[in-house]
Amino acid sequence: MMLDTSVETYWEVYSFLMHEAELLDERRERDWLELFTDDAEYLMPVRVNRERAEGDGFSDEAYYFEETRGSLELRVRRLETEYAWAEDPPSRTRHFVTNVRVAEGEEEDEVAVRTNLLLYRSRGSDPKHDLLSAERKDTLRKEDGQWKLRKRVILLDHSVLTTHNLSVFL
Amino acid sequence: MIGETREKEIYEVLQEARRSIEEDGKLLSKVYNESSIFDLEVKRIFSKTWVFLAHESEIPWSGDYVLRRIVDDSFIVTRDEDGDIHVLFNMCRHRGMQLCRSDAGNSSHFRCPYHGYTYQNTGKLNGVPFQKEAYGPEGLDKDEWAMTPAPRMEIYEGMIFASLNPDVQPLEEYIGDMGWYLDFYLKKSSAGLEVVGPPQRWIMPADWKLAAENFIGDGYHTQSTHMSTIKAGIMRVKSPAYLKEGVQITAGKHGCLFMGFKPGSYFNYPQGIVDSMLENLNEDQVELLKEESIMPLNATVFPNTSFLHSAMAVEAEGELATSVPYLTIRVWQPMGPGKMEIWSWCLVEKDATEEFKKNSNRAYLSTFGASGTLEQDDAENWSGQTRVAAGEMSGQHYLNYSAGAKHVEPIPEGEWPGPGTAYPKNYVDFAQRHFWQTYFDHLLDDRNGS
Repeated sequence: MMLDTSVETYWEVYSFLMHEAELLDERRERDWLELFTDDAEYLMPVRVNRERAEGDGFSDEAYYFEETRGSLELRVRRLETEYAWAEDPPSRTRHFVTNVRVAEGEEEDEVAVRTNLLLYRSRGSDPKHDLLSAERKDTLRKEDGQWKLRKRVILLDHSVLTTHNLSVFL
Repeated sequence: MIGETREKEIYEVLQEARRSIEEDGKLLSKVYNESSIFDLEVKRIFSKTWVFLAHESEIPWSGDYVLRRIVDDSFIVTRDEDGDIHVLFNMCRHRGMQLCRSDAGNSSHFRCPYHGYTYQNTGKLNGVPFQKEAYGPEGLDKDEWAMTPAPRMEIYEGMIFASLNPDVQPLEEYIGDMGWYLDFYLKKSSAGLEVVGPPQRWIMPADWKLAAENFIGDGYHTQSTHMSTIKAGIMRVKSPAYLKEGVQITAGKHGCLFMGFKPGSYFNYPQGIVDSMLENLNEDQVELLKEESIMPLNATVFPNTSFLHSAMAVEAEGELATSVPYLTIRVWQPMGPGKMEIWSWCLVEKDATEEFKKNSNRAYLSTFGASGTLEQDDAENWSGQTRVAAGEMSGQHYLNYSAGAKHVEPIPEGEWPGPGTAYPKNYVDFAQRHFWQTYFDHLLDDRNGS
């Protein structure tokens, strides 16, 4: 039986996403990592400015992130050292997650979730901020009564990133 | 008058800056972020030298094209129906409209949206709407109004370069002695290299020269800048000083840095690539691999193309927790003083297994590119250097480029198998000083006017 996408499911998914954004904005990367399933995939393809007839321009070869739980673990470990200069002092981020759409997933214990993301990033005393805009296509799986992130695909609205590095997660 | 005085002042400042880096090993910090010299960089460097635009494998099929730039000059790099490559100004000859507005694609023709002039991907003008009404019964001389090609275009081992300078020396000669070192990146397989998809692109408030000088030979920064990746087990080395021993090279206008590897491990390349590497490279190159167990790690081809060859862990556990090798080529594209766009490609041997290609690309992503755990921290440094150099007085400070000057001598001729000049240490500034000397030589060279 497929999971229903009732108000209750919607509310659980919504709460999960709000909690996740809070963890990222509070720099609790280790806790954030715990939200992923062991077989998680975390992808952010390169986007190329193409003609309309050629589709949306997302590459299926080149990525900004092509991660598993194991490679995200390495990234989080690095942030936990005293030497991750790119995030110390840390960026001040705000993950604005909107337009939450929940549909049935491919597996019976999964849901397919689409959200819009606006990431505000401020660093140092620079009066200018960086903004990254994207749609996220998530697969959430219920494991032992808890929602977990099985897969995230971050679909950027940029063909050239307008931030100096990706030491933050989307 | 004000303009002339200003120009004279800049000239004098640059002359003193050149003397200082050459004789004292000190660099005027102003050059990290100074608007008055940016125009000179465009005119005397980027309009004079060869600049890398694209790899052949980005446009493998007839009709394929990509858009590329030399600073603000936009080019369409095309492959025509005969398989020949063209580099054409992305500008309609009629009213100067940007002809192609898609960054990549496949098309035999480019049609200007403004009045509809249509060109073949060779640059030939094919169609002019209402030609007779507009230009008389004889129409327009289509040969005269073809797209303008870049003054020069040449290909080096699959790398497509262009130059705005019609009198630039041949590319092979420009790369010169550096070719011997580039072979380690470009000729490991006789099948050649291919890009893994389109390049990452991102904008950094940092000066292009800081990245170029870092990549030409800065082995010294790794023990501090990249400490987090050593602690986290991404960079699988025994000591933070892993890059202390090695060889720094200057060759022509260019340079590179060698890194050691465990004898017989060849950066952990799979056996197939190791076999072809040992077969394709010449005897002297193979001697370095086999006897000395060293290989070029990073390199810069003047002015703004860099290479990095490394091996890093991809996963926290399992097979990919060991070092997986990769190659990246990048362009530090100036966007103005103190600002650049980075273009970063990952390349793999065409005849490697699909599994290796995928893992190699993941090793690159985990460490370099916008999200790379090493490049993130490089970005922090280069942006910070650029920011503080903008100060009126901090811009007058002289910075230390003297490492090695007092106690390191070049390897004597006959004891190093490669061309150029080799220095037997990596925590030295010879290649970086060479970069800045080359840079000042260009800025001060007014043979072709300003």
